[in-house]
Amino acid sequence: MPVSATTNCAENETRNDRIRANEEVLISRIQEGEKDLFLELIRPYQRTVYATVISMLRSKEDAEDVTQDVLLKALARLRQFRRESAFGTWLIQIAINEARMRKRKLRHGIMFSLTKGADDDGAYVPKDFADWREIPSEALERSEIRKALAKALALLEEHYRLAFILRDVNELSITETANILGITRGAVKTRLRRARLMLRDILSPGLQQGGEVGLAFKEVRKPWE
Amino acid sequence: MTCEEVWRDISDYVDDELDPKQRTALEEHFAICRQCAAVLEGTCNVIRLYRDERVLAPPRGFHDRLHARLNQRLKHGPEEQIRPSRRAVLAWALTAAAAVPLGFALFSAKRIILPRPEHQNPSSSSDSPAVTGLVAVSQDADDKVYHVAGCSHLQGKPKFLPVEEAIREGYTSCVYCIGKARPKQKS
Repeated sequence: MPVSATTNCAENETRNDRIRANEEVLISRIQEGEKDLFLELIRPYQRTVYATVISMLRSKEDAEDVTQDVLLKALARLRQFRRESAFGTWLIQIAINEARMRKRKLRHGIMFSLTKGADDDGAYVPKDFADWREIPSEALERSEIRKALAKALALLEEHYRLAFILRDVNELSITETANILGITRGAVKTRLRRARLMLRDILSPGLQQGGEVGLAFKEVRKPWE
Repeated sequence: MTCEEVWRDISDYVDDELDPKQRTALEEHFAICRQCAAVLEGTCNVIRLYRDERVLAPPRGFHDRLHARLNQRLKHGPEEQIRPSRRAVLAWALTAAAAVPLGFALFSAKRIILPRPEHQNPSSSSDSPAVTGLVAVSQDADDKVYHVAGCSHLQGKPKFLPVEEAIREGYTSCVYCIGKARPKQKS
């Protein structure tokens, strides 16, 4: 069953509206001087900012430093926040800019990618047709599974990785993702399709073997061959 | 509907971005195609896994460190003036740690490679006299030259006076006797 279809859209929208209204109140109070409330405002976004930054930088230390810088900058610039977008979206925009600046500074923009040279517009052909057992939530308690997921993500090219992070990890809408990345909704959908199918292919072999993630495209016999 | 068409639309199906007709067509295909159903299930599973808060979570202690930094900022104003970032502190510490042995090495190398400067003999200076004590000047000649006692070039009756006084009075040293008395310069 599709992921989005499992959630009731109306309920989801109501929840988001409630969260946004609460944020509006917090932001107004902070702008009027109650700065201690800032910690409460950013609490739900710490992981999303960190996930965005770590997906662009390889080092955990750099990611932590940049995440902290992002949140401090958000505090300093909160007066400039014009409510044209959601607070979370604004934060992620700052995070992407900061991470890009740090990357330039560190000059380690080269990420090893299994998908290098892949054509954005070309059709992606899945490589593994094995049935997936649903991975139990308990499996994520194991650090090797979490590491494998992080490693698999790092194998994608950055534009696929970012689209996936924004949409599937940070749960932004396709329109919000397109606005942040400065691309069309269609381009976001294309990147998402490839990112999701590639991650599935990278992770499939291992996760089916009790979590021993191989992290390699598995050469399997395609059914049409 | 072919498998290729399903793979093209599978991501939009997950995002609920298809119109009802396309959606139904895909669901009918999943019902009969085990492989495409496996692709769908795997794709949904990937999204579920990455959406979990434990994946790509900040490292242990992150929240405490962040809150400490934010609290400091809230209490004392711009944080950058109070405490540099962890990376900056580390960079300074590494630079300082590297500078100490480097400085020592340079100091040692200088002592080994470069000769120690000789202590200059005041008498070797052109401004200072080559001899000390009393020198002899001629009472009869007008050459205004001072000599060491017994110099064969001293003409007439000698008069003895301190060398400093001779210099003050405009006497210059005899190139023969004082020149010999000048100590040899070390090369």
